[in-house]
Amino acid sequence: MLELFKMLGNKRLFVLLTVLIIFIALMGFTLGSRKELSWPEKFVKDTVSFVQSIFYKPASYVAGFFEDVGNLKSLEEENEQLKIALSHYTRDKAKYNWIDQENERLQTLLQFTEAQKKQYDYDWVIAQVVSVNEDPINKTIVLNIGSREGVKEGMAVSSVQGLVGVISHVSNFTSTVKLATGMDAKDPNSNAIAATAQGKENQVFGMIETYDKTTGKFLMTKIENSKTLAKDDIIVSSGIGGVFPRGVNIGTVDEVQVDSYGLTYTATVTPAASFMDWKELMVVFTPEVEK
Amino acid sequence: MSRVQRRKYILLLLLFLLFIIEGTIIPWLIPGFLQGRVAPHLVYIVILFVTVYYDRHTALILAFSFGMLHDIVYYGALIGTYSLAMGCSCYILGLIFRSHRSPMPLMLIVTLLGSLLFDSIVYGVYLVFEVIHLPFSWALSNHIIPTMFFHFVFALITYVPLRRQLEIIAKRRSLDVNKTRT
Repeated sequence: MLELFKMLGNKRLFVLLTVLIIFIALMGFTLGSRKELSWPEKFVKDTVSFVQSIFYKPASYVAGFFEDVGNLKSLEEENEQLKIALSHYTRDKAKYNWIDQENERLQTLLQFTEAQKKQYDYDWVIAQVVSVNEDPINKTIVLNIGSREGVKEGMAVSSVQGLVGVISHVSNFTSTVKLATGMDAKDPNSNAIAATAQGKENQVFGMIETYDKTTGKFLMTKIENSKTLAKDDIIVSSGIGGVFPRGVNIGTVDEVQVDSYGLTYTATVTPAASFMDWKELMVVFTPEVEK
Repeated sequence: MSRVQRRKYILLLLLFLLFIIEGTIIPWLIPGFLQGRVAPHLVYIVILFVTVYYDRHTALILAFSFGMLHDIVYYGALIGTYSLAMGCSCYILGLIFRSHRSPMPLMLIVTLLGSLLFDSIVYGVYLVFEVIHLPFSWALSNHIIPTMFFHFVFALITYVPLRRQLEIIAKRRSLDVNKTRT
């Protein structure tokens, strides 16, 4: 026992142990969701991000220019596809307007409350990427909008192609996105996303819980019936639960298998977003419920 | 302001600039098939040079502060991983390779070892706090070894100018120390 105390006389060892304890306490404290960042964190984050934004934009323009030159050949084909998509869009738009108005009329007839009516009125706000953290385990992106613009923790972030991640922490002028590649069912701080298949919204239900880092695919678990889900179905978030917005594109189904317990099915989903080379992302603002 | 003093400030500024470049320009330079598998930490490599050719205590403070900066700016899961990993690995390597006369091959071995140690500590912390559940062999082949290679190349490029500057600072300091002793 006395020898143990003597070891504490070694100043270096004492300092080392203290530092270790402080760090473990700090990590434990900052793990998971926090109500708000403290002011030193906000200050450092905002100032450094401001400097980073000066560097990121020119770099992305230069890289984008080379990309554009590389894509010059496929431009004609893409144009053709876009024209077809546009004609589809104009046709669907007429149909959509009709259904939308009908829906509104029925809602007033059924005496929906104001909150119920506006439940799915999402705002897709465009944000510029400021910097990227390349850490393979805990990849994050910093965006140039923050709590001043009304960003809150837990909001969904999507690129043009599909789901990218979730806002993890917000400071005054910037916010951090935790990528969906960090999703893990075993991680107590990672939330699952309720998902469904496009066109089969009433038949398919599943949970996107895990991103398999070894294969680079999402796992959609808890599917009750495998017959309703087919290969190449587009998976979108369903908004059940009310936290995560509905209609965010997640990916396409690769294959459906029986899960390890044999009770439900698990589908592997190829992500729609490529998780690289970001310029702009869209933050999905869910409507505020007035009390 | 003396020339050495100015050099020290330039070193600090250079580290900050590298930190900015790390998050903004480097992601665009990594080829597509390596994205998500390579995480270059240029600041860390420069601090490794500081720990070998200058002083390990200065390097420890630098590593703590720049690691904390990284943690706060890219706050994803938790704060403190990079700070702890950078600080620990810099100090340990400084303790082992404390000779200021280390030749180039030895310094390159230090960067390889340092890169391995740093990524292993980061992986260990994430494992303890349940951010990741994959085995270490996955981390090793997925990102630790490709990153080691990137760090090696960066160290090779910056070796000559960085060592020269650091030695000027270190020589001046040892002269000052001798003066106060006599």
